[in-house]
Order: sequence, then structure tokens, then C-alpha cells
Amino acid sequence: MKFAKALKIPKFASQISNTLLRGGVMVAPSLPREEIEMTDATPGRSATPLISMRNIHKRFGSLHALRGASLDVHAGEVVALVGDNGAGKSTMVKVMAGVHMATSGEYEFEGKPVTINSPTDAQKLGIQTVYQDLALCANLDAVQNLFLGRELTGSGLFGRRLRRAESEVKAREVLGRMRLGNLSLTRPVGAMSGGQRQNIAIARSILWTPKVVILDEPTAALSHSAAEQVGTLIRTLADQGLGIVVVSHDIHNFVVNATDRIEVMRLGANAASFKSSEVTGEQVVNAMVGGNEGVNLAG
Amino acid sequence: MADTTVTTAAPPLVRRRSIGELLSSDFRALPIVIGLVALWVFFTIQSDVFLTARNLSNLLVQSTVVGIMALGVMFVLLVKEIDLSVAAINGVTSVLMAKLIVEAGVSPWLAVPMAIAIGALIGSLSARWVTFVGVPSFVVTLGLGLALNGLQLILLPATARYSLNGTGLEKIALTNIGGIWAWVVLVIGLLVFAGLVFSEAARRNKAGLETPVMRGVVAPIVAATGFGIVVVAILSAHKGIPLVVLIFAVLLGLGGYVLKQTQFGLYLYAVGNNDEAARRSGVKVDRIKMTAFAIAGGVAALAGVIAASRTLGVGVFSGGGVGGGTLLLESIAAAVIGGVSLFGGRGSIHAALLGALVIGTVSNGLNLMGVENEIRLIVTGLLLVLAVSIDKLIEKATGQQSF
Ligand SMILES: Nc1ncnc2c1ncn2[C@@H]1O[C@H](COP(=O)(O)OP(=O)(O)OP(=O)(O)O)[C@@H](O)[C@H]1O
Ligand SMILES: [Mg+2]
Repeated sequence: MKFAKALKIPKFASQISNTLLRGGVMVAPSLPREEIEMTDATPGRSATPLISMRNIHKRFGSLHALRGASLDVHAGEVVALVGDNGAGKSTMVKVMAGVHMATSGEYEFEGKPVTINSPTDAQKLGIQTVYQDLALCANLDAVQNLFLGRELTGSGLFGRRLRRAESEVKAREVLGRMRLGNLSLTRPVGAMSGGQRQNIAIARSILWTPKVVILDEPTAALSHSAAEQVGTLIRTLADQGLGIVVVSHDIHNFVVNATDRIEVMRLGANAASFKSSEVTGEQVVNAMVGGNEGVNLAG
Repeated sequence: MADTTVTTAAPPLVRRRSIGELLSSDFRALPIVIGLVALWVFFTIQSDVFLTARNLSNLLVQSTVVGIMALGVMFVLLVKEIDLSVAAINGVTSVLMAKLIVEAGVSPWLAVPMAIAIGALIGSLSARWVTFVGVPSFVVTLGLGLALNGLQLILLPATARYSLNGTGLEKIALTNIGGIWAWVVLVIGLLVFAGLVFSEAARRNKAGLETPVMRGVVAPIVAATGFGIVVVAILSAHKGIPLVVLIFAVLLGLGGYVLKQTQFGLYLYAVGNNDEAARRSGVKVDRIKMTAFAIAGGVAALAGVIAASRTLGVGVFSGGGVGGGTLLLESIAAAVIGGVSLFGGRGSIHAALLGALVIGTVSNGLNLMGVENEIRLIVTGLLLVLAVSIDKLIEKATGQQSF
């Protein structure tokens, strides 16, 4: 019994990664995914989007970076935001995360209009962002990085005393839920691989029990297999009901295979929208550079 | 069985750690300990006086001022800054303290805490300058150190010296805890240590985590007990535990607790490695740095008090003289030889002890051999470069990237 309990989750995780690795193509485990995509009535994807941004404009002085861009994020869904350099992807997610304020436009969270003036406001709503530099401390281990800035502490001599044991248990629990039970908790993260570090950074945002996680270029510095690890993790999170937004340039591997929906941006506006399962990398790239106007399969 | 308590999803990962990895974590101190043993063997062969209780006792006392200074500097090094004014703080606060005692008749019981508080204040002020204005700490503390040297000279009387003989302050250096009391002190220290180890093990058990009983409980307590018995036996064979050595030991214990067990200690390491990440996580980086500098300043002042007590007075020479002299260099060198990284975020409390012992041993041993001071400087300098080189090689071997 003890063993069954201990092995259940990693076994499932290896099933996922086996599926992913088969034939070098990334395919998410079929069952949970189809459940989510079938209809709006499934618990995975509710009718009201978690986040609905409509007609967002953003000006930096004379530069008009966003020209009426829109984006919906649903619970249980992975949305890819793609586009050429300067298309406005980062600006869009920064508006979403409260780093920038939109010049005009509507921002609804769970169906209610909200005003987000700062990253803290966004975090309070349950919107977490993982930036490309990850913001980890290489000399600290996974537990210390996960809890950095909000350690579990008790009173003690000379300030708060760390509650290492409790932190380790909580970290194991969170990592277990993310199927990351194999990560060492005691090695400095500087000694880990890029994919493992990316996963720890994502796990760190999950510790806040967010509703939406935004990832800017999570696979940019990763090898193909490490990118697959990240893709697996993102899928696991979406299956647990989170909304995920991923900005990525890795169209052919990561975007097409690891996401549910692809929003193409061009010159600060929406150029196209695809269902990831029904599109090829070429079609997406065409839309990015302006070849295939007005395709809208997922909308 | 231990693993019935494992409630986590992951099967325990039995992964053998490479030698390089062990060297960079648990056995980080091994090369320095080996080096220290080699030095002791060498000097024992060279001089039959070296390995006597009397000389070892002296060696330990001689190492305390540098050791305490190194312990303070370590906090600043951990946050990736440097404090070149610690020797000057040591000098100026001890002169100020002597002035208060000798000229104003202030009780040493008041003057000593005042000196320490002023040392901490000076440290925190240089940190403010570093964090607000953004001038590198190297420059701020270099300039501040010179200014404090000037102030020290101004504070001194025309005779350029205050004698502290008969003020009561000399008792710090003269007090030894002998006989049964030496052992009582050791037992108290060991009980506190064992209490911390057991409470940590109990917490892990309660939380349902496996506790490596050998590695996590038995080994540290046995090692500490063995080490303590040897040291106290040697010291007792001479005059007992010198009070200054006890002060150093208590500071090491407190420092170790702060670095390993407290949130502040963790933040020192986080800030030293990636201050931007720490800031974004909500760590008050400036405040952590300020506290680190304040600790270095306060501890340097305490070392100044001890130095003043040992030399029975203060003068131009206090704090290593103008420019900090060998006191400044040896304090920083001791921390670095002991394994504190100049690049921030790396080093444990035993670095201060080991580094100071290495420097103290070289000085003491060469002295016994009748070698001149010049050679001593050369050897210490080379040892510093060697120690840092070994550190770099280990880092390369383990392939640890910093990002
Ligand atoms: N803080 C800013 N101030 C001024 N202009 C900005 C700022 N941030 C972005 N821009 C401009 O807004 C436009 C959109 O930039 P954005 O970073 O959103 O593009 P992107 O789609 O993320 O591109 P990339 O793929 O290169 O990351 C660009 O022309 C950029 O120069
Ligand atoms: Mg961008």
C-alpha cells in the first residue's frame, strides 16, 4: 500500500512523458485534453473566461504598441501568444500582469471589470508571471527558492526562525501535484539543468495558488527535451484548472504541440486565432508575417 | 522504520553525489582543514614548542581578534559587498572608548557597549551610502576608513596613547576560566548545540520527513563533543579557557545560528547571489545589506575592545594603524581563506575560525622558527591566493553555473 501510494504519481508522470517523447512529437495525454476541448460546459473550461481583455490600446509616447488587441484566457486552457518581434506580445502580457497600464480598453477578471494598476494588484487577483530570467538564486536549493520572500517561519532569536521541515513537506506536496516529485530539494538550483530551473520557477508561482500563470518565453533557452518537460508541466497545471498564457517563438515544436489555442498578433492587433490541434506550424508562421488573413477557427 | 513516515509522492531518490559536489557542500571545509593539519605537522616537526598546551593556547588567543573581525566581514561578503573600514572602525571606536574611560571616567560597562553601538552605526551609515547613492562599497568604505583613521588620530591625546591599565578593561584579556568551570562551560555549550540539533530532528519527524539519524543527529553531536573535549583539555592544561576565546566561540555559535536557522541568514545568501531576484520576491535588500554592514561594524568594534584589553591601551597602532595595516588585510584574508566567496552568497561560519587559525598558525609557527616578519607576510599572501584558487577549482569541477 505504502509503495502504491508512493509510486502512483511518478508513474503517471512517466506515462505523460513517454507519450510526449514518442516519435519526438509532443502529444499531450489524450484523455484530459479532449475533455477540456469538447465543450464549454466541462468543468475544465467554463463559459466565462478568467481573463477577458478587449480592444486594448497601449501607447508609449508616440509609439502605438497595442492597437485594439484582445485576448481571452479560460480556466484549464493553454493559450499561446505568438507574433513577430515587436508585435506587442510582451506588452500585452505586461498589461495583463499589471506591469503596464493600458491606455484604453476593457479588462475583465472572472466576468467583472477590474482596474489593475500594479503587479501586486494582478497577483492579488491570482495572476502570476514567470519572467524569462526566472529570478532564482543559484546558491539556494529548491525549497529555499520556492519560498523565497515568504518563508514559513516561527519566532526565534534574532528575527524569524526558519521552519525548514514544514517548508520541505509543503514543497514536496506542491511539486508532487505538479508531477515534479523527482526534483532534488537540497541541491543548489545552480547545479540543475535549465529545464529543471524553469520548472522550479513555475512551481514558485504555483505556490501562490494562482488562477492564471503567464510565461514569457519559457523555452527560449532550453533544449528540445527540456522544452518538452516544461510543456508537460504546463499541461498538468491546465488540467488542474489553471489558465495559462505562454509567449513563445518556438512555433513548430512547442506552440503547436503544447498549447490549446494560438493567438497570433501582428502590429499590436490580433491577426489570427487557431486551435492548436488543427493547425500546422507553417500556417501559424504565415499568419504571423501576414500571409493568411482573418483565419479564425477557435474563436 | 524510517521510511514508513515518508508521505510524499516521490520515491526517495538514491543518487550518489560526486566528490566535487560533496566538496562544494558538506565537505566544503575539508581542503582548509587538511591545509591546517599540514601546517601543524610541519611546525611540530620544525619546533618542539609548537605542539605544547601553552603555545596552542597562545595561538588561539592570538587568532581571536582577526577571527572576530573575519566573522563580521563575512556578513558583508555574503551580500556581495566589502567593508574596507572594519579595521578603522576597530581603531576609532576603541580609542573613543578609552577616551571615555580615561578622560570622562565612564565605566567600562557602559563604554564597551557604546563602542559596539557606534561601530554598528558607522557600518550602517556606509551601507546607506552604498545603497542610496549607489557608490560601490569598495570606494565608500575605503574613503570612510581613511577618514576614521584621521578621526582616531584627532581623538588621541598628545602622548598618542591611552593606557587602560587599572581601568578594569584589562581583565577581559587576563581572565581565564579554569578547572571545573572550563568543563561546565563546555557542557553548557554542547547542551545548547544538542538541543538545536534534536529540535530540528524532532520537527522533521513530526512533519513526517525522514531524518538521517547518523548524518543529521549523531555525527554532528559526536563531532562537536570530541572537538570540544580536545580544545578544553588543551586549554585547561595551560590556564583554562581564556575569556577572549570564549567570546569568539560564543560569537561563532550565534553567527552559525543566524546564518543557518534564521530568515535573515537566508536572505544574506539570497541577496548575495541574486539581489534582483530577492528584491522581486519581496526581500528588503537594502535593509539586509544595512544589517550586514552594521554587524560587521559592531563586531569590529568588539574586536577593538579585545585588542585594547590585550595591549593594555590604545594608540596610533589601534585598528592596525593608519590604513588598517595587516589587521584589515588579515581579517578579509581569513574570511576568504576560510571559504567565504568574494563574489557573494557562499561561505559558512566556520570560515572565520579556520581562516583565522591558518593565519594565526603561520604567524605563530614562523615566529617559533625564528623567521622574520617579512617571510610571514609572503607566506600568508601566498596561502590566500592558494586558498581562493582551490575554491575556484572546486567550483569548476562541480560545474556550478551562477546565473
Ligand atoms: N517600455 C517601452 N517603452 C517604449 N516602447 C516600448 C516599450 N516596451 C515595448 N515597446 C515597443 O512596443 C512594441 C511592441 O513591443 P513588445 O515587446 O510588446 O513586442 P514583442 O511582441 O514582445 O516582441 P519580441 O518578440 O521581440 O519580444 C515595440 O515596438 C517596442 O519597441
Ligand atoms: Mg517580447
